Amino acid sequence: MKQVGLFLGCNIPFNRPDVEYSARYILSELETNAVDLEGASCCPAFGTMPSIDIEAWAAASAWNLVLADEKGIDLVTGCGSCYGSLNEAKHHMGQHPELIEKINQIYAKVGKEYKGTAKVSNFINFIYEDVGLEKIKQKVKVNLNGLKCAVQTGCHNLWPSEAYPTSEDNTFQPKRLREICEAMGGSAPNYSAITDCCGMGALRSNASDKSLALFKKKLDMIKEELDPDICVIGCSSCLMQFDAGQALLIEQKKLNYQIPSLHIIQLIALALGADIDKLTAFTKVPLDGAINKIKGGN
Amino acid sequence: MEESGVNVINLNQCDEEFIKYLEKFGAHSLKECIQCGKCASTCPMALAGLDFYIKRIIHAATLGLKEILLEDSSVWGCQSCNRCVEVCPMDIKPYEIIQAVRRAAVRDESCPANTYEGLRNLYKNGHAVFPKGFEERRKKVGLPEKPPTLTSHEELKKKFQEILKQTSLADVAPFKLD
Ligand code: SF4
Ligand code: SF4
Repeated sequence: MKQVGLFLGCNIPFNRPDVEYSARYILSELETNAVDLEGASCCPAFGTMPSIDIEAWAAASAWNLVLADEKGIDLVTGCGSCYGSLNEAKHHMGQHPELIEKINQIYAKVGKEYKGTAKVSNFINFIYEDVGLEKIKQKVKVNLNGLKCAVQTGCHNLWPSEAYPTSEDNTFQPKRLREICEAMGGSAPNYSAITDCCGMGALRSNASDKSLALFKKKLDMIKEELDPDICVIGCSSCLMQFDAGQALLIEQKKLNYQIPSLHIIQLIALALGADIDKLTAFTKVPLDGAINKIKGGN
Repeated sequence: MEESGVNVINLNQCDEEFIKYLEKFGAHSLKECIQCGKCASTCPMALAGLDFYIKRIIHAATLGLKEILLEDSSVWGCQSCNRCVEVCPMDIKPYEIIQAVRRAAVRDESCPANTYEGLRNLYKNGHAVFPKGFEERRKKVGLPEKPPTLTSHEELKKKFQEILKQTSLADVAPFKLD
């Protein structure tokens, strides 16, 4: 049986465990053993150790990379920031052997060593490359029945491309997430704001109104150009903006329409027959319209 | 920063030492910037309307305008998205300049309070984001109350903290690393 280390991060296990439930479900359906990375930490988030210095960043990221090295496994994560932080730290270490030396001096004190053998993937690339779209097609139990998806890959899943083990042909015109939706029977057209930022992250924490206004601008363009049944998201932070952030805009009476939003992990779980109440347990924007469409309504 | 009008830069404020300081923290090819503005055309900070956005930050950094850079909190609104790195024609890695300014700011104690909250959570719990009530949420979807991370492993958490103590976190954290 294939195996992969499930890197949870913070937001998925603590804020959106419905995404963790979905991730475990799909890995099992895809005959992949989800290995728990016992004792994993935060990636670390960009506003923390990376903002202190490179060495502090590498030391914290290495904690997780070493856990994977020790088990001889690669990692997969549903969070864009984790994908970015771990890969960028790894990239910095790869380019600077003296940094690895320093990190290993520190790690020797707890009897560990950084080797840098584990690859860090996100669910988009994992499904696209390691699982393959053909296998997804074979495994679909609930066809998406033409569900119109507006996809949001998420910036950390795309850039900096030089730090990543794999990449879209053109990161400013991402296609992988669209193709995954299509493989399950959905439609996923391109749109002009496809790579625009959702505003979640440091901007949301430090300038909340401006962040939500940026998000609304993107959502308005999605509504106008595609009028989709659902937004399908590749990153847990973007998901929180698209779902809870959207609910907040509606509550503040700044938005007069709604588009349900799921992480791609949740949408795959849905198509592979997972328990719908569990996989959407913390979804704020109601999904009824999208579910009706999948069941054959309009 | 003023919202509109001409900002007159007082060149007497230029601080060569500060430029070197930023270089130490990863701002490498700062002087190569041609102020083309490509970074700003794709930067979410700029598009969201922060006045002091990436191109202006780079400009201030090339001039070593220490006070402006440390006083303004815009760098903390950077999304770490690396769009600027991807498009910069001079391969300056503007994001790394943002990081360098942040790194100078934490040593000057001029970062927003939520930065410390994230660091404290990371050190104490192993997670920068550690919201209340997660046990109930996890139970609702049939998962164990605690995830298999450092939350479930006290001994490993001590080792993780040992690692963090060996970094500059020990110098900049406004809380005790015990
Ligand atoms: S894109 Fe590069 S060269 Fe152009 S203004 Fe930004 S940092 Fe300077
Ligand atoms: S990394 Fe920061 S400065 Fe660069 S484009 Fe993104 S938000 Fe702007």
